[in-house]
Amino acid sequence: MEIFEQGSGEIFSKITPDDFRSHMLAKTERANTDKRMDLKEAIRRFIRTGDYISVGGCSIVRLPIAFIHEVLRQGYYFRMAAGTRTFDVDLLLDNDRIMELDIGYILGLEMLGIPQYTRTRVKERLAKGELKITEWSNGTMAWRHKAAAMGLSFLPVRSLAGTDTFKHSAAKKVKCPFTGIDMILVPALYCDACIIHVHRADKYGNCQIDGMLNEDLEKARSAKSLIITTEKIIDTDEIRKDGSKTVIPQFYVDAVVEIPNGAYPTNMPGLYYLDLDHLKAYAKAAEDRSGESLKTYYLDYVFGTNDFDEFLEKCGGRKRIEELKKVELMEGRA
Amino acid sequence: MEKKRYNPIELMAVVASRHLEDGKVIFAGTGIPMLAAALAQKIHSPNLVLVFEAGGISPKASMLPLSVADSRTTYRAISCANMPEAMEMLQKGLVTYAFLGGAQIDRYGNLNSTMIGDDYLNPRTRLPGSGGANELASLAWKTLIIMNHSRRRFVEKVDFITTPGYLDGPGARERAGLPPGNGPHLVFTELGIFDFEEKSKRMRLKSLLPGVSREKVIEETGFDLLISDHVGREEEPTREELRALREDVDPWRVVLSRGDSSD
Repeated sequence: MEIFEQGSGEIFSKITPDDFRSHMLAKTERANTDKRMDLKEAIRRFIRTGDYISVGGCSIVRLPIAFIHEVLRQGYYFRMAAGTRTFDVDLLLDNDRIMELDIGYILGLEMLGIPQYTRTRVKERLAKGELKITEWSNGTMAWRHKAAAMGLSFLPVRSLAGTDTFKHSAAKKVKCPFTGIDMILVPALYCDACIIHVHRADKYGNCQIDGMLNEDLEKARSAKSLIITTEKIIDTDEIRKDGSKTVIPQFYVDAVVEIPNGAYPTNMPGLYYLDLDHLKAYAKAAEDRSGESLKTYYLDYVFGTNDFDEFLEKCGGRKRIEELKKVELMEGRA
Repeated sequence: MEKKRYNPIELMAVVASRHLEDGKVIFAGTGIPMLAAALAQKIHSPNLVLVFEAGGISPKASMLPLSVADSRTTYRAISCANMPEAMEMLQKGLVTYAFLGGAQIDRYGNLNSTMIGDDYLNPRTRLPGSGGANELASLAWKTLIIMNHSRRRFVEKVDFITTPGYLDGPGARERAGLPPGNGPHLVFTELGIFDFEEKSKRMRLKSLLPGVSREKVIEETGFDLLISDHVGREEEPTREELRALREDVDPWRVVLSRGDSSD
């Protein structure tokens, strides 16, 4: 197939459909085992520093914040898929923990604007070559995860053409061999590890999610290791009552970690709304380009705490969660 | 000067909301686009179908979502889908309106939301990147753009084409390999509404917002703007439009308050 144009961006994650097949076969041996463990053990067993990771949820919704805090405390750094990423990637970027980044959307906290310190650090590290970026879009990032989830090496799509985003991506433009129509090929994105926070899972890792799914189904199916953090562990009988609710089946899952409120301060659809006050306080600290205010934020909430429970307590604990539950159920409106 | 009844963001949201045709499918980005779409659904276009990129499809209007993914985007929705499905709805031609913002725009409606400066690796300012904008503007039938109007934003040449407008003129989208028959439709600012002249695909002043002069628009635009033969004048926001916007759509003033300082 003749390639008419191609982007100059780097491909950070190897395109390995055959390796992935072998890996998945080996994984089936463990599919039907009890995978419950605590977060520290899950990270120790399934995450290595320098891994290429993907993270579930979207923007400021259903982010696995408990996981992000723990890897920050433990000093991990990553290469990362970043379609529609906000607070999770900001926490990692503020602490220089990302070296390579495939970008759909970073930095912005949506309506809360762009954290200035984070932006300044990204700019400095880009100029020094400490951080490398390849440009994509939210759609092409989702399709890259999907291509890998399908066990393929690429997918043809119809966006990106004609733009600088294409030029700084690693996509290629070809003529479709069937129709002669121009198509943009995006490479499959196979990840070393993926972390997703869900509403309910059983001990084998069969997962149920309420609300939007973003690209979590595709991410779960295209990572070598998958850690599930869940609000609640439920009986397999509950799962089997209605199999149509299982969005991630056990084959893909390596660890199941029960962490109630594990997405706080982001929104967990149906359970608690995002904590606008906390996110605003973070955004305010990030306005200080020297990084001093954020240093205090991280000391207070991440590095000065031992685990996620301690963080939750500092943020108002059960009482705060109850308030956010009311907002979520739209009872908290004046 | 007499204190205005509304701030610039309220004005832009109200004016834009009047142009969203009932019954169509719209994909709205965070911020003012979502504000305008939510307001349209409350007042002018109750059957406007909102689709959100994280998978919320046709939620019932509630409070303004603070994110393209939050639970307001799936509140009483007909479906909780995912990013591939939402993007594939665009790719298959189901979506009439894409509604987005940007940091810079040029005469052909090309948008930049990636970086400001002339060196990609050493930008003056790094911005979030495409987000869903590239798919929205590549694949929806009509792209609507809303942004603040100044020479810094309405530029001769954008520093980076994140998202395609008409690229470098008529036929360029098709030559680049984008699907035929779509592109930028209207641009909304606090000064006016702009369309794209049929033959040249260049941006054209279509109508002015209340109290704004044609000269002011030209002064704040960094490229040679076409002017329609019949420049219209938009109506002031009505009491009911402002009430719905403030009380129903954004009661916490998360987005609306951003217009207060510039008032």
